Amino acid sequence: MSAPRDAARHGDSGLQPERTDLAWSRTTMAMVVAAAVFLRWLPHHGWFVGTLVGGAVIAALAINLTQKRRFHKAVRGINQEAMPPNTRATAAVAASVVILAVLGIYTVLFLPLQP
Amino acid sequence: MAEDSNSGEPDARNRFTSRILRGGTEPDPRFTLANERTFLAWIRTSLALLAGGVAVEAFMADLLGPELRKTIAVLLLVLALVIGGGSFFRWLNVERAMRSKTPLPLPLIAPVLAIGGALVAAIMVVFVIARPA
Repeated sequence: MSAPRDAARHGDSGLQPERTDLAWSRTTMAMVVAAAVFLRWLPHHGWFVGTLVGGAVIAALAINLTQKRRFHKAVRGINQEAMPPNTRATAAVAASVVILAVLGIYTVLFLPLQP
Repeated sequence: MAEDSNSGEPDARNRFTSRILRGGTEPDPRFTLANERTFLAWIRTSLALLAGGVAVEAFMADLLGPELRKTIAVLLLVLALVIGGGSFFRWLNVERAMRSKTPLPLPLIAPVLAIGGALVAAIMVVFVIARPA
């Protein structure tokens, strides 16, 4: 048995690390879908919408690149019966959504539709 | 990854965590993970509202007048903003309650979502009924 596989072993019958990992994956996909829907605005509201598309894609990418680290942290947490909560990740994701919403409201209210 | 995950000290908390989650003891990691998944479910709800707001503005140009379209889009986007921002504080309050072993707080964002969603739906119903056939 290789070392990485051992590091992913845990005794939680509730499969918490795996379910949490999948929850983050679904969030990544929701972020990508949001980016795709923002793309629809590009021809109507101009280049500014690029910040929305880019922001959502960067957020999705950031979640995706840190997935493995969080999964192993959860496995260690289960094995050691204690884990520090992911404060920075949750704060960052919530902040991204808030920023995207603010940019979206700005776009609807202040950027005129282009012919 | 050579470290043995079955023994040793729990991971250290980073500075941000120590600052916003003072006192109490680390709860069962299963509860921490459950709280995280619930937070993510709220975030996805917020993202759905965000995409919904954009879709109303982008795809309903032939159906809705500019004012109504703008109103519904902004309503959905504001709802996304409140749910997205609120979900972090919900997560934090639950984490704090679990650390101090006090009863979990009620989700304030749940009635906000219910009322906001109902409002948007009501506006659409009125629009559909009032629209000339």
